Amino acid sequence: MADSSGTTLMDLITADPAASTSGSTTLPPSSVSASATSASQQPSGSVTTTSSSSSSGKTILGEKKSKRATLMQIQSDTISAAKAALHPMKTNIMPQKQKKKPVSYSQLARSIHELAATSDQKSSQKQLVHHVFPKLAVYNSVDPSLAPSLLMLNQQCEDRTILRYVYYYLARILSDTGAQGLSSGGGIPTPNWDALADIDAVGGVTRADVVPRIVEQLSAEASNADIEFHARRLQALKALTYASASNTNILTRLYEIVFGILDKVADAPQKRKKGVFGTKGGDKESIIRSNLQYAALSALRRLPLDPGNPAFLHRAVQGLSFSDPIAVRHALEIISELATKDPYAVAMSLGKLVLPGGALQDVLHLHDVLARVSLARLCHTISRARALDERPDIKSQFNSVLYQLLLDPSERVCFEAILCVLGKCDNTERTEERAAGWYRLTREILKLPEAPSVSSKGSTAESNDSSKASKDKSQKTRRPQPLIKLVMRRLESAFRSFSRPVLHAAARVVQEMGKSRAAAFAVGLQDIDEGVIVNTHSDAVDDTAFNENPYATGVRRTSSVSSGTGGKDTIAGLLASLMEVVRTTVACECVYVRAMVIKALIWMQVPHESFDELGSIIASELSDPAWPATLLNDILLTLHARFKATPDMAVTLLEIARIFATKVPGKIDADVLQLLWKTCLVGAGPDGKHTALEAVTIVLDLPPPQPGSMSRLTSVDRVSASDPKSALALQRLVQAAVWFLGENANYAASEYAWESATPPGTALMMLDADKMVAAASSRNPTLAGALTRLQRCAFSGSWEVRIVAAQALTTMAIRSGEPFRLQIYEFLNALAHGGVQSQLSEIHPSNGEDQGASGTGLGFLISPMIKVLDEMYRAQDELIKDIRNHDNTNKEWTDEELKKLYETHERLLDLVSLFCYVPRAKYLPLGPISAKLIDVYRTKHNISASTGLSDPAVATGISDLIYESKPPPVESDALDDDLVNAWAANLGDDGLLGNSAPAMNRVNEFLAGIGTDAPDVEEENIISRPSVSYDDMWAKTLLEPSELEEDDGRSSGTSSPDSTGSVETSISSHFGGMSYPSLFSSKPTNYGASQSSERSGGRRYGGSSSIYETGSPIREEPPSYASSVMQRYESFENPLAARGSQSFESEDEERLSSGNPQSGKALYDFTAGGDDELNLTAGEEVEIEYEVDGWYHVKKKRPGRDGKMAGLVPVLYVNKS
Amino acid sequence: MILAVLFANVEGNILIERFSGVPAEERLHWRSFLVKLGADNLKGVKNEELLVASHKSVYIVYTVLGDVSIFVVGKDEYDELALAEVIFAITSAVKDVCGKPPTERLFLDKYGKICLCLDEIVWKGLLENTDKDRIRRVMRLKPPTEF
Repeated sequence: MADSSGTTLMDLITADPAASTSGSTTLPPSSVSASATSASQQPSGSVTTTSSSSSSGKTILGEKKSKRATLMQIQSDTISAAKAALHPMKTNIMPQKQKKKPVSYSQLARSIHELAATSDQKSSQKQLVHHVFPKLAVYNSVDPSLAPSLLMLNQQCEDRTILRYVYYYLARILSDTGAQGLSSGGGIPTPNWDALADIDAVGGVTRADVVPRIVEQLSAEASNADIEFHARRLQALKALTYASASNTNILTRLYEIVFGILDKVADAPQKRKKGVFGTKGGDKESIIRSNLQYAALSALRRLPLDPGNPAFLHRAVQGLSFSDPIAVRHALEIISELATKDPYAVAMSLGKLVLPGGALQDVLHLHDVLARVSLARLCHTISRARALDERPDIKSQFNSVLYQLLLDPSERVCFEAILCVLGKCDNTERTEERAAGWYRLTREILKLPEAPSVSSKGSTAESNDSSKASKDKSQKTRRPQPLIKLVMRRLESAFRSFSRPVLHAAARVVQEMGKSRAAAFAVGLQDIDEGVIVNTHSDAVDDTAFNENPYATGVRRTSSVSSGTGGKDTIAGLLASLMEVVRTTVACECVYVRAMVIKALIWMQVPHESFDELGSIIASELSDPAWPATLLNDILLTLHARFKATPDMAVTLLEIARIFATKVPGKIDADVLQLLWKTCLVGAGPDGKHTALEAVTIVLDLPPPQPGSMSRLTSVDRVSASDPKSALALQRLVQAAVWFLGENANYAASEYAWESATPPGTALMMLDADKMVAAASSRNPTLAGALTRLQRCAFSGSWEVRIVAAQALTTMAIRSGEPFRLQIYEFLNALAHGGVQSQLSEIHPSNGEDQGASGTGLGFLISPMIKVLDEMYRAQDELIKDIRNHDNTNKEWTDEELKKLYETHERLLDLVSLFCYVPRAKYLPLGPISAKLIDVYRTKHNISASTGLSDPAVATGISDLIYESKPPPVESDALDDDLVNAWAANLGDDGLLGNSAPAMNRVNEFLAGIGTDAPDVEEENIISRPSVSYDDMWAKTLLEPSELEEDDGRSSGTSSPDSTGSVETSISSHFGGMSYPSLFSSKPTNYGASQSSERSGGRRYGGSSSIYETGSPIREEPPSYASSVMQRYESFENPLAARGSQSFESEDEERLSSGNPQSGKALYDFTAGGDDELNLTAGEEVEIEYEVDGWYHVKKKRPGRDGKMAGLVPVLYVNKS
Repeated sequence: MILAVLFANVEGNILIERFSGVPAEERLHWRSFLVKLGADNLKGVKNEELLVASHKSVYIVYTVLGDVSIFVVGKDEYDELALAEVIFAITSAVKDVCGKPPTERLFLDKYGKICLCLDEIVWKGLLENTDKDRIRRVMRLKPPTEF
């Protein structure tokens, strides 16, 4: 256990309570000087004080074992304490008087028991207040066995401070600690008391024993109407709310108490007083009433709401008029929550309160920020509620209140109001709502009933007619103002703030504005002409798209209002000046603020604008090493979301993504980047595809990183990979890009062999290389460009890149028609023999690495690829020869000959499928001329075109999805129902964003704004990133078997040997299904086709391109590449032998079976500290299933007392037999 | 929801933590994340100067008070600005209890009281009392508004 110098929590309990007997309330100096263990989380087993090298906070997260030791220690302490309490034979207060000796939990517990008995004495009270209770607070949870003493204190003691502590601890006992005995309290971990009491059969006290007693006593107190008692009554009620909400008995009781109090105090006529604490100087009775109102509403706020129960709404609405500001806040919060469920009822019961002079108007001036925030939400919910469509008057009243909140002095409230206006509420927003939000913001005008600072409540929003407006013209704030101007002014001033939270929030608001704006453009609100002058837009605009919107009243939308600054402001102009301020905020010191600003800029970027400025901002930002990786990936995900909102921006976004790839290759997730490439490529439209592909491939043109020389450069095109780690990461990105290129070039170029009309004969005649290249580039510049880049990579990259490039070239060769195939064929041959290498390498400087005997080091790897092309060409030659023969002799093709031809065709198809995915039904390895003959044979023998059932692609029906143009019917007999269902279920998803692949999940999560996930800390020694090693994954999947069931949509670890695999193969099927052509399927996906065992292990391994993903390409390369090559090789000898899907499967099965269980015996008792752990009794026989990080996963012969059969136990607790 | 309130000392040892709505297995991540955040950014920061961070849709506001750093994590209505209110309530209450920006020693001396006042400020993941006089009263088991 590492320790840290300095004082810590342990110091606190180190202080000897006995010291107080001498009258001193300060701690003895000796304990101050004693440096203590870093106790907060992981006190060492024996709580002695040591001094050693200080350590950072990370040590608190040390290994589990020492924690376990501590728990054992505490456990034994407690048992003895409990026993001591039962048999109070010791009389003296503190058994230990030695200095520096820390007070153990048991001592604390014992002193509570003892002091409770003598609580009438001053000295005991003092000791409790100054020593025992504060020290007890250090522990994570409170032992239920203390409850009797606490209750006794509660009844007998008079001292307020002691009582306050008693309520505090009773609440902690009441609060549901969950199975792990882990309360929210933090501090020094304590064991699961219930489990402990269970073990200690003699005198164990469990929560179940004491909770009813505590509830009993507290509810009696909470119902005590004695005036003198009422402060305690409030605390008792508060403590009661900590009781488990799942216990219906307690809950019913609580409701009874709360509503009982409200019945008495809520109905009384109130004179609402103004001011922060309005009741100052009020009479005693009304103050007590107000206090009780507050307590009851606060308690109600913590209880689960019952939307069907009118009492809730009734009381909450009454609460709006209470004089306690916090009570009003809770009432508003309850109401706004209820409003989301039943806006109609809420609006009806609020009735007149929203009108001028009503309670809601008063809230506008209430000195409680959160109350006004709730008010904004409430107004938003009601003014947008569908249920109130026939009551436009009510809606407009609430709308008007919402707009008034835009003037709120607090940024929190104002920003909430802006977000509400923009249509951002919760995470369930829809594009239309967002678009309407942008429309509102840019079009509507706030007529101010009064200046916000004036609190006279006779304000009249509606009756404020034009005459009054003209009367107030001198006062600037009173003039009706367009919302947009108000908002812009407010935001601009917020951006000048020095407070980081304000900056962050303002940037976030701008981001939301960008989202709404993008939505407005997407929905096609064409009348959003940002050149329109804000104040003079005409009614004609209003009459067009949104005249059905009922928010007109209370908000004037006329052109008559003239602005004092002259009517020259256009929305575009306002936005421009805002964005200017936003950009300057990039100078903020805090990366999080800067990240938010960049996100805001990305969202505010529109397709037709130049993004140079944004690009250079991002580029210079990324040079800052302070950026954490998670934040950068967050921004990448923002790009993704931005693309989703506006597909036109594909190219711009790709450019930005490229900046990330070049500047911080080590920090971004290749998965996320690839995903972005893909979605952009798909979304770019036919014309943009070339550009999109170019944007991806620019990554390939990057010069190799030059260590150390990059620190100050901000140029976009220079690589900032100054350390080996990011150089490696860049390498991986390049690999990913190369693979991506090979995989998708054909799609981007719309060039497919099976759609090519050029007969091979033409191509074969163009054997002159130069002519060939010329022909190729004239025919399809996109593909030719990609080809050139790949060729360059195959020469000049690192070994890993060259491999991938060769593979990518093969894929292209197979998929493209002539002359590309021939070109690649020749190139590969050259590569294999190193012939051209010398001449080319002068042009492209190599990275100085030894190129190997063949010149490229690729000879061995390429040969199978060349072989398959060889075979294809040879077969084509033969076919032509045969055809000529037949033509010359004018002979019909015999069935025998046709059969041979067909077999060759099938054999070649099988071979080709090993390398990349091709549609079997259409692909003609023998060239277009073979089509007729094969067709003849097929019809003759009644073979359906896609009979290749052994082809996994066909088996899963993916091949049929590949075609945009005409998807042939899925062969239902080739599919089992589950597959079809899985497939169909996924079609329901958004076509662009299925939710299958790991990166997809992250995107979706991001888009949905799910955020409770704990953050990753990029700290090499704490948490390894989840994808780091296969073994970790393996262990994880074993530990979380339930996760697998949820994963069926996910790309499983399919095992066809060409698993250079796409990361998101299953996505590709979405694209296919949603009429996007095949761009990603390098290989078929099999939804659920693989066994679940395989799925568990292989999910990340085979399925998700181990090449790009794993930390060390060299280490990970062999399984995914070499083995498959070997297999390919074999399958040449025996092409129709079982297809390569066994390699990973068998490996997985092997791993599974290798875990044959061993038996063992528990050496000691062990108490589970978590859900996944298992209680053990010494001597128990167990079956050891596997070992993970010093823990065994064991299975018991019969379930233990807690009913659990299997779980984790520390290795040392079990003796392997 | 205020997901977490956390006090740490200069070395990054956690003194007090209160989680609500955070599963036990995520707490470890949060602790280390926050401690690292503090270690990276809190050097040379003035007392009570607010710093901000975010992770997905969760916001973090943190600051330094004497020898103690304070972190507050929240989401939904508790965005960075609302958290700023929360942290302001906490710092003023702690200063009130300790009489000044606390040293670690002083903080530990007042540990029990700080726990109590925290209990009054954040109640089941929601902000409760913000006014320091009111907090002082309820900590002493007096009614929130006195007569």
